[in-house]
Amino acid sequence: MIPIENFLVLSSILFSIGIYGVLARRNAVLIIMSVELMLQAVSINFIAFAVYLYPEQFTGLIFAIFVITIAAAEVGLALGIILRIFRNKGTSNVDEVDMLKW
Amino acid sequence: MDSVNRFGPELILLAMAAVIILADIGWALAGTGAERMRRPALGALALTGTAASIIWSALLIAFDEQGEAFSGMIRVDDFALFFNFLFAGTAAIVILASIDFLRRNRFVAEYYALILASTAGMMLLASTIDLIAIFVALELTGISLYILVAFMKDGRSSEAGLKYLLLGAISSAVALYGMAYLFGITGSTSLDEIGLVVSEANGETRSALVLAMVFLIAGFGFKMAIVPFQMWVPDVYEGAPTPVTAFLSVGSKAAGFAVVMRIFLTALGDGSISSDWATVFAILAAISMSLGNITALVQGNIKRMLGYSSIAQAGTFLIGLAVVAAADPQLLLGTSAVLFFLGTYAFTNLGAFIAVIAISSKIGSDQIADYAGVAKRSPLLALGLTICLLSLTGIPPTAGFIAKVYVFNAAVQADLVWLAIVGVLNSVVAAYYYLRVVLNMYTAEPASEESIQPGYYLGLAMVVAVVGLLVIGIFPSPLLEASEAAARVFG
Amino acid sequence: MLNQIPEGVVWAILFLPFGSFAVISLAALLGLTRTGSWEARFSGYLTMAAIAASFLLSLWALDSVLQEDGARIGYDAHEWVTVGSLRFDIGVTVDGLTAIMLIVVTSVSLLVQFYSQGYMRGDPGYNRYYAFMSLFTGSMLGLVLASNILQLFVFWELVGLCSYLLIGFWFYRDSARRAATKAFVVTRIGDLGFLSAILLIWTKTDQLDIGQIQHLAATGMIGSSVITWFALGLFAGAAGKSAQFPLHVWLPDAMEGPTPVSALIHAATMVVAGVYLVARFFPVFIVSEEAINAVVVVGAITAIMAASLAIVATDIKRVMAYSTISQLGYMMMALGVGAIGAAIFHLFTHAFFKALLFLGAGSVNHATGTFDMRKMGGLARFMPVTFLTTTVAGLALVGVFPLAGFWSKDEILIEAWAEKPLIFWTALAGVFLTAVYVGRMLFLTFGGEYKGGEASDHGAQANSRPAEPHESPWVMLLPLVVLATLATTVGFVNITGGMNDILEGWLPEETHELVAAGDFVLWISVVSVAVGLAGLGLAWAIYSRKAIRAEEVSAALEPVQVLLDRKYYLDDLYETVIVKGVIMRGAAAALHAWDRYVIDGVVNGLASLMRFSSEKYRLAQSGQAQLYGAAIFIGVIVIVASVLQDELLGIVGL
Repeated sequence: MIPIENFLVLSSILFSIGIYGVLARRNAVLIIMSVELMLQAVSINFIAFAVYLYPEQFTGLIFAIFVITIAAAEVGLALGIILRIFRNKGTSNVDEVDMLKW
Repeated sequence: MDSVNRFGPELILLAMAAVIILADIGWALAGTGAERMRRPALGALALTGTAASIIWSALLIAFDEQGEAFSGMIRVDDFALFFNFLFAGTAAIVILASIDFLRRNRFVAEYYALILASTAGMMLLASTIDLIAIFVALELTGISLYILVAFMKDGRSSEAGLKYLLLGAISSAVALYGMAYLFGITGSTSLDEIGLVVSEANGETRSALVLAMVFLIAGFGFKMAIVPFQMWVPDVYEGAPTPVTAFLSVGSKAAGFAVVMRIFLTALGDGSISSDWATVFAILAAISMSLGNITALVQGNIKRMLGYSSIAQAGTFLIGLAVVAAADPQLLLGTSAVLFFLGTYAFTNLGAFIAVIAISSKIGSDQIADYAGVAKRSPLLALGLTICLLSLTGIPPTAGFIAKVYVFNAAVQADLVWLAIVGVLNSVVAAYYYLRVVLNMYTAEPASEESIQPGYYLGLAMVVAVVGLLVIGIFPSPLLEASEAAARVFG
Repeated sequence: MLNQIPEGVVWAILFLPFGSFAVISLAALLGLTRTGSWEARFSGYLTMAAIAASFLLSLWALDSVLQEDGARIGYDAHEWVTVGSLRFDIGVTVDGLTAIMLIVVTSVSLLVQFYSQGYMRGDPGYNRYYAFMSLFTGSMLGLVLASNILQLFVFWELVGLCSYLLIGFWFYRDSARRAATKAFVVTRIGDLGFLSAILLIWTKTDQLDIGQIQHLAATGMIGSSVITWFALGLFAGAAGKSAQFPLHVWLPDAMEGPTPVSALIHAATMVVAGVYLVARFFPVFIVSEEAINAVVVVGAITAIMAASLAIVATDIKRVMAYSTISQLGYMMMALGVGAIGAAIFHLFTHAFFKALLFLGAGSVNHATGTFDMRKMGGLARFMPVTFLTTTVAGLALVGVFPLAGFWSKDEILIEAWAEKPLIFWTALAGVFLTAVYVGRMLFLTFGGEYKGGEASDHGAQANSRPAEPHESPWVMLLPLVVLATLATTVGFVNITGGMNDILEGWLPEETHELVAAGDFVLWISVVSVAVGLAGLGLAWAIYSRKAIRAEEVSAALEPVQVLLDRKYYLDDLYETVIVKGVIMRGAAAALHAWDRYVIDGVVNGLASLMRFSSEKYRLAQSGQAQLYGAAIFIGVIVIVASVLQDELLGIVGL
């Protein structure tokens, strides 16, 4: 059986890749995808903990389902707002969206 | 049935949100004949919803219907009820202040529905005692607010919406990561059980626990708007529609503090870990106050200035949390100081933003320089805004004074004298930029003599806020007792 | 002899002005005061009626206190807020100190309001003015009557706020705005000390009641370092309000408000609050060597420094502002040597002649449209009443026998001599300087030829340049005359020492022996009057001589020989006087520079440092969402690293 540490490391790597994407990507859509990556890293964590450490209960799995559902809602909304920005400014690069500052 | 009963205040808000959307469809079908009545009727429905929610909460107290609901997901206790009143009242004032603001907007129904939905989310945040429900409530609040911030659909509003959404999503992910670790360490999502396991934990899990704690601080620090998780605040406050900014600055912030108190006092309340987070909070409090106040000094946009000031205020609330972890009797003092401060701050900041809505919509600018001579054009509004700013500064006889004395006293009692000193010094700096606005209103020549007449709803909202903060300033006992009772939940 | 004053009546003293404030504000908000002639002036009448009633009730309070020999008439405190173990009370207290302060505040305020009917007539801010004045007086009464220190602080802040509003009254002047802000911010620095003192005493003794704190301090129930820090904190607050060195910088600028406001601020309200505070906590100060020494040293420095600055100022109100600072220094000095009776007695007499001086200056300004003494001159002919009354006030300030100032100043000198001779000599030097600037002011303003004045920028006279100065209307003169009478006579009330008795009657038993007591010493009185006259003479020689020579030439009066002789025999002396004058001016100018560049510099420097960091930090807020995200992650990493530093260091093997 694969030890739990492997899952935790995988999750941390995914989370870190997500962070990298959030900070380094310019396109808002890609940033949202990176956030998704972070959320899925969390899901992996939950599932690994639930299966390995606490197999007698379902809370971890349920949590993961909630995360997936809500992440979907968030992405839908995010795409709507990005569309709006694109109509207003003709770009979806977040570094060009800096009218509000200082 | 008990569960539904106890969930009533939230439920009725969500139900009313649905009713508003349906009613709007009804109006669309009815054609243009009834169009004139649409806006006031929808506003009235939304207000009815908040009123019903307040009444329901009051009835829960009257019939002593407190306890857990939905098999330990929600706990309706004095703490939750305190926030029920706070959030429903805030929502009511914000709705009142929005009626005039939305005069030319097509999507009135959606606006009210979203306000009600996010209010329900905030209430849920204060009453849940389970990580899953906390996450759901967090997202219910957040997603509604993302839409509200981007509601005007112009460049500024959309930009604010995008920033709020991006950073909000990142913070949720970070908080969630912390929750996952908490679950991994303790095997439970119930705050009580987590607290039990944490108090029995040996040193092995400490690193993981600290990691989870910091992730949670970061995630909810976004909502509370404390340094260094506060960077979104000025931009979003400036770009969002002003009533929504008011709602963000009061409701969302209070919700952040509510959930942080729930989690940290129940799940992470054990001495081994609480001294760690108390130190973190103390330092973040000092930095938030100083950075917020200093940056506010040179701001030209009043919404932005209030944004920075709200960061500083959040720092002041944090003092209360930092106090909590000191010895046992302080537990009550620190928590109730935060609650009392949140209560006074609700009136104060709502009042200030309502005045900004009224003045800015008339003069067409948010620049402090354009507030010149407002006192001549509308003495009442200028007086109201002045009282709110005095309260933010912490000058008697306003509520802000009592709140500051209370918090600083709590800090001194808990041997955090340095923090109290930082706080007092900061209030001197704050006096400078708040009074700058007052001076400008009273002492500069107005650009035009035309008087500014706020609408009736806006005027009513303003009166409620200003009278509230003066009454609390002079007769603070009822609110103090309420916050003490709410704080006793953790005692 | 009336019955002892019931508590409700004491509250009425406080609430009458607040009531008038509320009524005026309400009426103004409802727009009732805009039309018609009676309504337009109703706020003035209402304010005066309220304060007159307060004054009469204060007399009753004084009568009750006299029956008690100045001891405290304690009323039970009322519970205001209770939170768990915390309980805040509110209450009033009346004792000798309070009663005297009540009389000073209400009587001076009443006269000032009366005078303002003339001075503020036609000003567009008339209602606002009276509303603020009511609030100001009410807050001061509240401050004096407060029976616990937190309540005192609330009114203390209200007084500060009102003075801010009144100094900035003519807000369209940029200087007025800046002055108001400066006053507010500088006094708040002192207030920090006050607030810390409250927190300190509260945490250490659990007491906020003033009587209890005094009792604990006098009986040695509080540790000496606590007492010292508590007293020093209070003194920081007092120094801010009472414009003591180095927090005095706001007061000269505060002249931007209407002159009656200055009169009230300087004589009876704002600035004496600091002296009152020290006097109120006298039993605490007196048991701490360090605190009392701080008071005396700061008082002495202030008295001398401000007096020398007054000699070089050209604005008549600025001269008086420095004079007030200097006199407050005297009061602090007196408190510092343990002479609480003399200090409050001086506060009492000073209130009348300083109010008179300001109202006189206002009258002069009313006539000439300027406060610049170089543009005045020769006003004695045009405004005889103003001239006479102002002269009486000036002489009282110098301490010429038998005017009010003589008695109080003399008492301070005597007690200083008995307690701390060094302070006595400082005070005597102060008397000399005082005489010089008073003489200079009087000669420049009223002597010589009229030099034209200036267009006025307030009230009905706005932008009309008076062709020839004229005497002010009777509403303005009457208070002058009343005050002049008082400035002449109030000194006699203490001739038997009766006032000292009631001022010291409330002190706790244990501190009685620490209070200074000096017996009348004839030579001190003679010397102080002589020094005062010498100062006036010097002023005459410097500032008035030219005028006298001009008259002497034109009139070619009979004793030419004498005058020639005199000129001759003055020549040498004159040389030295000029030299001395120059040196003195130099020193004063240096002090002025210190004031302007060093002290102001520190205050302004801090402000610009804040501003600078503000400008810098806001650049970090670049509008880039990803930067904001980075802040979150960096924050997480820094916090984790600092919380887990031990563990992390362990991993690296340190």
